[in-house]
Amino acid sequence: MKRSPFLRLGLGAAALGLLATAGCTKKADNEDTAAAGGKTADQVRVALVPGGAHPYFQPWKTAAGEAKSELKLGDATFNETSGWDQTKQNDVIKSLAAQGYNAFGIFGVAPENINSTFEDLKRQGFAVGSLASCPAGDVNKADFCLSTDTGEAAYKATKAAIEAIGGKGNLVHLTGNKVDSNTQRRIAGVDKAVGETGGQVKVIQVVTDIDTDLQTAQKAVADLLAAKGTQINGIVTTAYNPAVAAAEGVKQAKLPIKVIAIDDDKTILDGIKDGSVSGTVLQNPTGQALVGSYALLKLSEGCTMAQPGVVVDSGSFIVTKANVDNYETDRKAKTDELRSAFDGQYLTCK
Amino acid sequence: MEKTAAPPGRPRRLPLWANPRLGLVVLLVLLVAFFSILRPAFLDTRLTLTPLQSDISVYLVVGLAQLSVLSLGHMNLAVGRMAATSAFAMGLTHDKLGAGLIVSLTVGLLVGALLGALAGLIISRTGVNSFVVTLAMDFALVGLITILYASATDGVAFPTMPAGMEALRFDTFADYCLGDICGPRIPLVVPIALVAALLVGLLFRWSRLGREILMTGSNARAAELSGIPTRTRVVQAHALSGLIAALAGFLLAANNGAFSAGIGDSFLLPSFLAPVLGGTLLVGGAVSVLGTVLGATLTQVIYKGLNLLQFQLDQLQLYIGLVLLAALSLDRARHVLAERRGAAP
Repeated sequence: MKRSPFLRLGLGAAALGLLATAGCTKKADNEDTAAAGGKTADQVRVALVPGGAHPYFQPWKTAAGEAKSELKLGDATFNETSGWDQTKQNDVIKSLAAQGYNAFGIFGVAPENINSTFEDLKRQGFAVGSLASCPAGDVNKADFCLSTDTGEAAYKATKAAIEAIGGKGNLVHLTGNKVDSNTQRRIAGVDKAVGETGGQVKVIQVVTDIDTDLQTAQKAVADLLAAKGTQINGIVTTAYNPAVAAAEGVKQAKLPIKVIAIDDDKTILDGIKDGSVSGTVLQNPTGQALVGSYALLKLSEGCTMAQPGVVVDSGSFIVTKANVDNYETDRKAKTDELRSAFDGQYLTCK
Repeated sequence: MEKTAAPPGRPRRLPLWANPRLGLVVLLVLLVAFFSILRPAFLDTRLTLTPLQSDISVYLVVGLAQLSVLSLGHMNLAVGRMAATSAFAMGLTHDKLGAGLIVSLTVGLLVGALLGALAGLIISRTGVNSFVVTLAMDFALVGLITILYASATDGVAFPTMPAGMEALRFDTFADYCLGDICGPRIPLVVPIALVAALLVGLLFRWSRLGREILMTGSNARAAELSGIPTRTRVVQAHALSGLIAALAGFLLAANNGAFSAGIGDSFLLPSFLAPVLGGTLLVGGAVSVLGTVLGATLTQVIYKGLNLLQFQLDQLQLYIGLVLLAALSLDRARHVLAERRGAAP
């Protein structure tokens, strides 16, 4: 009987497998793990890696350069080539590590499994900070997470919106990716503020998944205003593109809707100045990058986290017509305060 | 491991230098040398070469999934979504039923094969082009995956993984020793991909089923008249494609560290690149598994190299496009030249 090649192959593979597994032992796991530390500032090479290209991260680019000269780092770079794909981001990070970068500030594309990336880097002895977004769930495997408390920022924004519409009426909430844990926190923050009005204010619609690009957001806002424009008293936006789109849309439609935006795009700042936008919630991307780099430097020099994985709020600020010209001072003050908090509270240095 | 079925009536062989596989090997060697000179870190075993092997393994299997239907002259545009749906099935089996690695993987592979078979069945029964059928399937599955993940998990990923996935993610054979002799720094996922390639190669080269699929792809009518059940072969080839896509989903989940909804998002283009670069015809009737291995390696080497050179986003995409275009044109030019030489002996 002629044996089929499949059978022969199967037998061969089985024999080989048996030979390989017999008496095979696994090396101790901890052999590869090394601790960050013991480096001098000029040996520390910081890489700031956002999830992909997005206007929010642009201040990181300048901040990387600033951190490099101010902290006298070996190098500090900014790489936005991850393309909102966790696999690509992992690849970008590994490539940076291969080039000698040894401290990472990362905005993880997928909050659900970014912890495994952090773990991977920690195993190789790198200092890792989760910047601008914390991993989903209660565990953060990075050394620290320095991010806007998204729930708190959404709460502040909604409070401002409620005040702007005079304490009663209908709100609409525009935000980003529904299955992102940060979005869930934002929705909860809005609900909390609305709940405190005791039924005076209602959220009549939550529009999600419109932060991918400006066109998507513009279309969603146009549709929303066409369908429900007259019923809406206020719009709360908790993501960048919807904020810009809402500011423009409401201005063009000339509806008496109060808009609370997020971040400081020029359209939004202009809107605040001419009164078409009631206010905006600013985050602190520069502070995240600067203080994040500082903490990464300290960890690389041998400091440890007093509480590994600690979550630190990088701050959020309400800007209205009253303080539109001097909000940078507040933001700078918050950044300085964060840095001293890392020195005095979060880091333990010998 | 060269697997081609030459169309009947063309016994003339191309000269060795015109073999597209050889061209790819030369190009690969040149690129590796080029990147290593510019960035010595390219040869760093732990940070570059080991992850590179994991990446190649995933995209090799993705390429094989497409190759299975390219053999018919068909396409599977739902290759990424089939991987995602299967990965969901694997995650669900583990997370909700507490099944181990093998059982979860088997369930996932089965789901992939069934999805593929469904696509094949629609194509063979209705006669609608595979492009349209699998495109529609892709759209349907995008929605389904979001709904499934939203109902079964808190977000877009399962929080747990079967025991053993961690080892597939982190370990290399260097971690396993027989006495004092430890293996090379090759990730554990590599042999899985190689066995898949070997089996697909054997299928198309030696088995009756594989030869009949190729004949169906080469000329469906002639195959039908020779007594080949072409409709069944179409269903089988698509089922195989779904099965292999599921395996690719599993390997990517192992590499990424979670069964998540994003699996397969980036599969579509590479799934065509690897086999086509390797000399598999889009019109069907001839496949090359070895070429697919080389094609997948080439694309990943280019990507890794450009990444190491730290190109900015726009430049990176531009250069990947340009390098691939150059590779394809060179290949085509060499082929045309060889044909001319062959025609005038």
